[in-house]
Amino acid sequence: MKIHYITGVCALFVVAIHILMRLIMPFNMSLEFENVILNYKNIFYALLLESILVLIAIHGFNGLRVILLEIRQTLIWERAVNILVIIAMIGIIAYGTRTIIIANGFSVG
Amino acid sequence: MTSTTSAKRIDENNKNDRTNRAGIKGWLNPIIYGWERVSYWFQRLTGIFLLVYFIGHVYETSSLVSGPDAWAAMLEMTQTVGGHLFLILVIGASTFHTINGIRLIFTQSGQGLGKPGRPDYPYDPTSVNNKQRSGLWIAFILAAVAMLYGANVLFSGE
Repeated sequence: MKIHYITGVCALFVVAIHILMRLIMPFNMSLEFENVILNYKNIFYALLLESILVLIAIHGFNGLRVILLEIRQTLIWERAVNILVIIAMIGIIAYGTRTIIIANGFSVG
Repeated sequence: MTSTTSAKRIDENNKNDRTNRAGIKGWLNPIIYGWERVSYWFQRLTGIFLLVYFIGHVYETSSLVSGPDAWAAMLEMTQTVGGHLFLILVIGASTFHTINGIRLIFTQSGQGLGKPGRPDYPYDPTSVNNKQRSGLWIAFILAAVAMLYGANVLFSGE
């Protein structure tokens, strides 16, 4: 469970910054396309988003794994859950990273 | 009875003795177990809900790469009363999951469990004490406060 606790506590801090970025100006204005792209073009914010993506994906899918292994315990089930969870984790990280990279390279206006 | 037959029988009994045989019904049963069980499955249900939201959020933000029109169309879907109510639920779930999660980290490291005592009638475990329960109530209260704040921001747009 150590990985679960470490990712959970780390995610708490980075997600707090992510939410604060939506509140430093009126909420609706902060969601305008130009504003969001400018966020993504800031390398530090892009790295923050990437860290949120990785931390939450590990924390979330490991949590799901724990729940599924609590419900049933057989060798096949355990192996299948582990493999599926790792595939889903890699898939969501890859998909989110693609968005961050493409949005980071966007030109505004 | 030979020792081999006896060993086989013990092995068979062990196989049948599945401590989780209530399965998902036992997992969801909030009755007789008290607030600790409510905390147990609220932590799991909010976790699953937040994982679903996280996947949806990653998909939702990917519309950015298709340009301003796709982004505006996606935002239009979420900037509704239903969308706001859903986000308020996300705020409540994430606050509860965080505060209760911190309580569980402390609990697992042995903090706030009290000293072990002699098992006297009515056999209340010392670990299920007021410190633990107040942690749970703080999680519920802060979740409600965060939801109110979120509702104010979302519905006023500020």
